[in-house]
Amino acid sequence: MMNRFRRMFSRSRLAADLSEEMQQHLEEKIEALVESGMPRNEAVHSARRAFGNATLIEQRSREVWMWPFIESICADIKFALRQLRKSPGFAAVAFLTLAIGIGANTAIFSLMNGLLLRPLPVADADQLVVLRMDQDRELPGYNFSAPLFRGLERQHKIFSDVFAFSGRPNFQVREGSTNESVRGMLASGEFFQALDIPPLIGRYLTPVDDRIGGNPEGLAALVSEGFWQRWFHRDPKVVGRKLIIANVPFTVVGVMPKRFIGADPTQRPEIYVPLSAEPIIDAPENWIAGGVNFHWLTVMARRKSEISLQQTNAALLPMSMPIAQAQVSDGNWIAEAEKGEFHFTAEPGARGFTFLRMFFRKPLIAVFVMCGGILLLACLNLASLLTARSAARERELATRLALGATRARLIQQLLTESLLITLVGTMGGLAMAPLVARPLASMLMSGFSNGSLDISLDMRVFLFVAAIAAGSTLLIGLIPALQATEGNLNDHIKNGQHSRLTYARQRILVRLLVLSEVALTMVLVVGAGLLGTSLVKLYHSNLGFDPRGLVNVTFNMAKQPLNGDALTRLYQTMSNQIGHMPGVKEISWERIIPMTGETWDNIYAAPGGSARDTFENRVGPGYFLTMRIPVIAGREFQWTDTKPSGLKVILNRAAAKQLFPGKDALGQQVQNVDAKALYEVIGVVGDTKYDDLANSSPAMAYLPITQVSDTNLNEKKPSYTAVVRIDGPVAPLAVAARSLAVRLAPTIPAPAITTMDSVMNDSISSQRMMALLSLFFAGCALLITAIGLYGTLAYATARRITEIGVRMALGAQRAQVAAMVFRENARVAIFGCVAGLVAAILASRVLARFLYEISPHDPWVLLCSAGILLAIAAVASTIPALRAASIDPMVALRAE
Amino acid sequence: MTQKSPKLPSEPRDLFPGALELMILQTLHRQPMHGYAMVQHIQQRSRDLLQVEEGSLYPALQRLLKANLVDAEWTISASNRRVRTYSITPDGTKHLEREVSRFEQMLEGISLVLAPNAS
Repeated sequence: MMNRFRRMFSRSRLAADLSEEMQQHLEEKIEALVESGMPRNEAVHSARRAFGNATLIEQRSREVWMWPFIESICADIKFALRQLRKSPGFAAVAFLTLAIGIGANTAIFSLMNGLLLRPLPVADADQLVVLRMDQDRELPGYNFSAPLFRGLERQHKIFSDVFAFSGRPNFQVREGSTNESVRGMLASGEFFQALDIPPLIGRYLTPVDDRIGGNPEGLAALVSEGFWQRWFHRDPKVVGRKLIIANVPFTVVGVMPKRFIGADPTQRPEIYVPLSAEPIIDAPENWIAGGVNFHWLTVMARRKSEISLQQTNAALLPMSMPIAQAQVSDGNWIAEAEKGEFHFTAEPGARGFTFLRMFFRKPLIAVFVMCGGILLLACLNLASLLTARSAARERELATRLALGATRARLIQQLLTESLLITLVGTMGGLAMAPLVARPLASMLMSGFSNGSLDISLDMRVFLFVAAIAAGSTLLIGLIPALQATEGNLNDHIKNGQHSRLTYARQRILVRLLVLSEVALTMVLVVGAGLLGTSLVKLYHSNLGFDPRGLVNVTFNMAKQPLNGDALTRLYQTMSNQIGHMPGVKEISWERIIPMTGETWDNIYAAPGGSARDTFENRVGPGYFLTMRIPVIAGREFQWTDTKPSGLKVILNRAAAKQLFPGKDALGQQVQNVDAKALYEVIGVVGDTKYDDLANSSPAMAYLPITQVSDTNLNEKKPSYTAVVRIDGPVAPLAVAARSLAVRLAPTIPAPAITTMDSVMNDSISSQRMMALLSLFFAGCALLITAIGLYGTLAYATARRITEIGVRMALGAQRAQVAAMVFRENARVAIFGCVAGLVAAILASRVLARFLYEISPHDPWVLLCSAGILLAIAAVASTIPALRAASIDPMVALRAE
Repeated sequence: MTQKSPKLPSEPRDLFPGALELMILQTLHRQPMHGYAMVQHIQQRSRDLLQVEEGSLYPALQRLLKANLVDAEWTISASNRRVRTYSITPDGTKHLEREVSRFEQMLEGISLVLAPNAS
């Protein structure tokens, strides 16, 4: 073997040796002949004759040393390149369609990888589990209350560590005299030792820090490398420095490296503080004090290595109720839990936990399937084009078979060609993938201010790409290769263009390929039509208010000193000042911005009537005017609607109907059942969408910001959003609002400003993503199919030139010829459409979940899709038909 | 391609595959020599019954080199020429012995079949 290697790499010397040797041989022979008395020139001829064809011999001698397989591949690649260069149109189509197919798949896969597949970058991630609570047949609960978590935290028989965390987008960190909002996380004592990544500097948080008041030295905070760089300018002596978070000093104890991402792959907290500091961070609220009724913690654990997941769950089952009983004093809760067989369950947690998975798993998988469809389509298309083309190369292949090439060798060569196509396509796709994935990721995450998705390409993505590239190569190359090399080679050579039998078979195969192409495109077009229509319907759905020119300015008042009425007066002052800014038409206040998914509800009842769960919002004077919500009866709130004037409520039409069926609600009393408070209905307004565009308008009760409750901790320092209707650009308002905040409430962070349009876009980000992508894919699919229909027909017609020439010579009219060629495709297109329609009707049920106010079998969408597809098929088939009609019979026949 | 035309028996025959290699090995087994000398030797020994196309020696030699059955080095010949002299390797000797016995078996088989007084 070594010998062979050595010789392989000194091949030029070998060749030189050989030529010299052969030359010497000839000379010796000539000399011998001359010595025997032959004239010199005759001797030269004679010696050469005896020697044979020197060039050929040298060639054959050198071939002995070649590595046949590798070298034949090199030759194949060269040949394939030459073939592709000869048909640049085909090459461009192949490259582009594959790049789109592979790029789209890679992009979506990298999203899925980032969100659904990638394990946390920690050692033995498979030992991590996510804990959940199961009760009755309710949905599994992933949100734990603090008491239940503290009960679990002590279970070290099965777990080496149990930890909980909760992200916050807005830690208020003081910088100079103002505050900045920083992404943070509350993490329990064993969080860091469970994930066990050593800190860059200092130490991480431990159970000692997770006590009320912190460790003996005070409250500890851990910062990310990014924050360390941004805030402390990579100060190596950062440990011991103070951070004022929520007006309370924390001591920095360490810096976590960039590769530490916590246990939620979509959150990138910059500051970690102990879980027990929650009342400080959330002040004036206190979720820990909220006890078992506040569900806000994600709980995970690390299994002991010797205990399997099954054993873990078997052990958790009998432990669950005792833990709950020890931690919860509320007898009702315990009784409910016992009735519902409350228990904890552990599920695999190697990939950490994020709520985003629940939102995006299905849309992502749906889009992934669409991408797969596009790639399949691109492959089918190339397979059909290659099959059609290899028909044109029949004679070449037959000749090569005759010259001694084996079938395997020819298949290898044809596969090399498709491999080359997919390789180039894959590279294009890989280059394209981030361009698609990045905007997609930001579109997806746009509704989640504190989220980010890592879509970087890792080993898993590359393996996936390699797999689809290999699959595509086989799909593209193998069918045409098998097809082209089979059959009796004598027939090929003898008949050439006229080998009817194989041609007929080939034509059926090509037609089947194109037919499935058309059918697949039909499915994609129908899907896109449904999703697109439903998006348009969503946009045009009746909101009940006018979002155009509406700007939300959220002031976070939780950490400033004013309370109650004093705070209300501040809001009134701000109202007046914003109202006088240029371009501002109206201004009011609201607690919940509609369409953000946030909800607030209470149970209301008319005296003697049944109790109804009713959504709520707390709003300012002039709210309905600002929002353009019609006041049907009664009036709006006013600043004078203070508590002493009596509690007031405004109902929307649905709530009025629900609480006072058949009666006039105005002037009636309604009761908040839990708070036992009575309200007077002073107005009835139009219905509006509340939490989600796709949901219908619910029953709603509006309470005034001038009458906040004293007892509810949530309302101690309420933060409201100014809804401002403006005329003109947002920027001046943003600047003015910031300076207003600095002037009137210097301790609050800068207000967050969003336009209602962007809130609406964010609220339907996944629908928008799916609709836009499916439209794009459907466009690509139509283009690819058009190319397929055109290309295969053009090849088929090129083979029939003689036949068409004969027909014309025998009197066929040009129109007849054109119709004949056109019909070939028309049949394929129509059958394909029908097959596609059937498939689309069967498949569209899957889509029903994503549709809004449209049936998955909407006849208009189905009809239009078929119409578009057939029209494009007609255009694609007309060109070859016209070209066939313009054949000159004399030329066609002479060429034979 | 397998066109058949009757050949006169007196015309020199094509060799069967591997025969040339066998003769080369046998020749080199007697003594190392260079290409031209080998051709001369084979033709003399076969009393010109075997017509070897002289050039065809070289691909055969390359195959033997590659299979490590012979070795080659540049030397100066008796006639004061720079020539590439081949010698048989131990592997080559073994191969030769095996092939010769196989060849003899084949020959015996053929002659038994061709023998006129077959029973």
